[in-house]
Amino acid sequence: MRVPSPNSSVRESLFGGRNTGLFVTLGLSLLVISLFSPQYLSLDNLRVVALQISFIGIASLGTALLIISGNVDLSIGSQYALCAVAAAMLARTIPAPFAWLAGITLGAILGFLDALMVWRVNISPIIITLGTMTVFRGIALRITNGFGVRGVPKSFSAFGQARILTVPMPVCVLIGLGLLAHIFLHKTVQGRHLFAFGGNKQAAEAAGINSKRLILMNFTFNGALVGISAVLAASRFGTAAPTFGVGFELDVIAAVILGGVAFTGGEGSIVGVLLAVVLLGVINSGLISLGIDPHYAQMVKGAALVVAVTLDQLTQERQERHRKRLAIQERSAIA
Amino acid sequence: MINDRSTRGSQQKVVRCVGITKYFGGVRALDTVSLELLPGEIVGLVGDNGAGKTTLVKILSGLYQPDEGSIWLDDVRVAHLNPKRAREFGIETVYQQLFLCDNLGAAANVMLGQEPVRGRLGPLQFLDNHRSIEEGRRHIAELGITLEDLVSPVRRLSGGQRQSIAIARATVNAHRLIQFDEPTAALGIRQTDATLELLRRVASQGVAVIVISHNLDDVFAVSNRIVVLRLGRITLNASVNDTTREQVVERMTGVSFRRNVL
Repeated sequence: MRVPSPNSSVRESLFGGRNTGLFVTLGLSLLVISLFSPQYLSLDNLRVVALQISFIGIASLGTALLIISGNVDLSIGSQYALCAVAAAMLARTIPAPFAWLAGITLGAILGFLDALMVWRVNISPIIITLGTMTVFRGIALRITNGFGVRGVPKSFSAFGQARILTVPMPVCVLIGLGLLAHIFLHKTVQGRHLFAFGGNKQAAEAAGINSKRLILMNFTFNGALVGISAVLAASRFGTAAPTFGVGFELDVIAAVILGGVAFTGGEGSIVGVLLAVVLLGVINSGLISLGIDPHYAQMVKGAALVVAVTLDQLTQERQERHRKRLAIQERSAIA
Repeated sequence: MINDRSTRGSQQKVVRCVGITKYFGGVRALDTVSLELLPGEIVGLVGDNGAGKTTLVKILSGLYQPDEGSIWLDDVRVAHLNPKRAREFGIETVYQQLFLCDNLGAAANVMLGQEPVRGRLGPLQFLDNHRSIEEGRRHIAELGITLEDLVSPVRRLSGGQRQSIAIARATVNAHRLIQFDEPTAALGIRQTDATLELLRRVASQGVAVIVISHNLDDVFAVSNRIVVLRLGRITLNASVNDTTREQVVERMTGVSFRRNVL
């Protein structure tokens, strides 16, 4: 199997690793869906599908970078809810643009808080962010008394409902940020260091890479992306509720892993993650437009993830055997 | 940091440690160890398991702080030697468990932490991948190692090749002192010879070398000086010409050969 290398050519970054498989699956899915439901490929419908996936898509960029560097943040669903309700509530008293910015900044702050604890306390980030997940959700419920935010002015919706050349703003933001994330991960020294950290933390530290700064930046950046996604969603709907984004983190992580990011860190690409986000969105909406019970969509999505990870595992075992053969050859060459 | 300049001797010491003592809980891992290293000198550091060899190496690379004693780099006292300071001075260490990123290629591993930059945008540094591979190739070639694939993840490589990459990585920055913790443990005979030859070549460039090894053949073949640690103390520190294997084993174990034989 071709593993997407941290620095890769255009061809490799498009088709390396699992990407070819994702492209083929996506193509086949679109083909089957459009055969039975031709209007699925209409511009209007595609616009709706793209809009649906953009919120998870934006968040998946940050999670991809986190997991590649060997970390994870489970609290993103609660960050999402807290940023959304905070922005909507603030919009009642301050001008809308400030409310949007405040929501995004809050995301960065929440990410930074997670980072502080992950950096200082020597416990798995899974445990720590499992805790903050509950805390952040609790805050969102407390400040809203558990109800959706009411009385949000219309001006708050301008961001999420804007369009650039008929393309909805959330989709534009996803495309722009996706491009930036790709350049960051594969073209910069910092991106290379994320891979190094996911590969072997000790080796990266021994090489003099500043682990504190890397963790702080990584979680903060992730929080800001969650904030952008949450503000776009709240702005799009014109309101927000503290129950926003329940299970959000699982959808995002599923997309990231399906996109070829190794949960143990060190491997993955932005192209793969975005392909997986699109594929999951197409499966979801496609099954609905085919008139199939949406509960099947759940099963198909879950099965896709298990199949993809299983295929990877089998490939890895094959590589292991290959390495063993190499080692035996080397030994017999010496003897 | 306290900088005390003392008068320089006839030959400048690269590294000097004086009266180093290190405790782990109640265990004294090192007991008033003093050692001087000259440029271009290869010192074989031997001792039984738990004698304190690796602890000493980790103190000199800044990973551990000694509880007592002082460390002098180029006759300048360094109060707190940390990994960053040690690297800046030019001390590198190849540990027994190779510190390699399995997911990166050979060149990327060699250049890790010192990647060539093509341009900057604020704090972002754009990687010059082409130059990174070329410089990595050059560093690996300088050691007389041939490695065709510099891009595939090093996890696919054999133990010997991985060892070579770890050594190449360390030598890039080791201008003053390079420490090897069991460099030949994972290697076959031919690769062991190549590695020992490599140590000599590094030393001939004026770099001090410390080699930890359980293999006395290797130690006697490559070292100028042999230092024996036993239970945290130096029990022998002699030129390789002035000592014998029997004497080294005696000082390692505390058992006198002659007495046993007679």
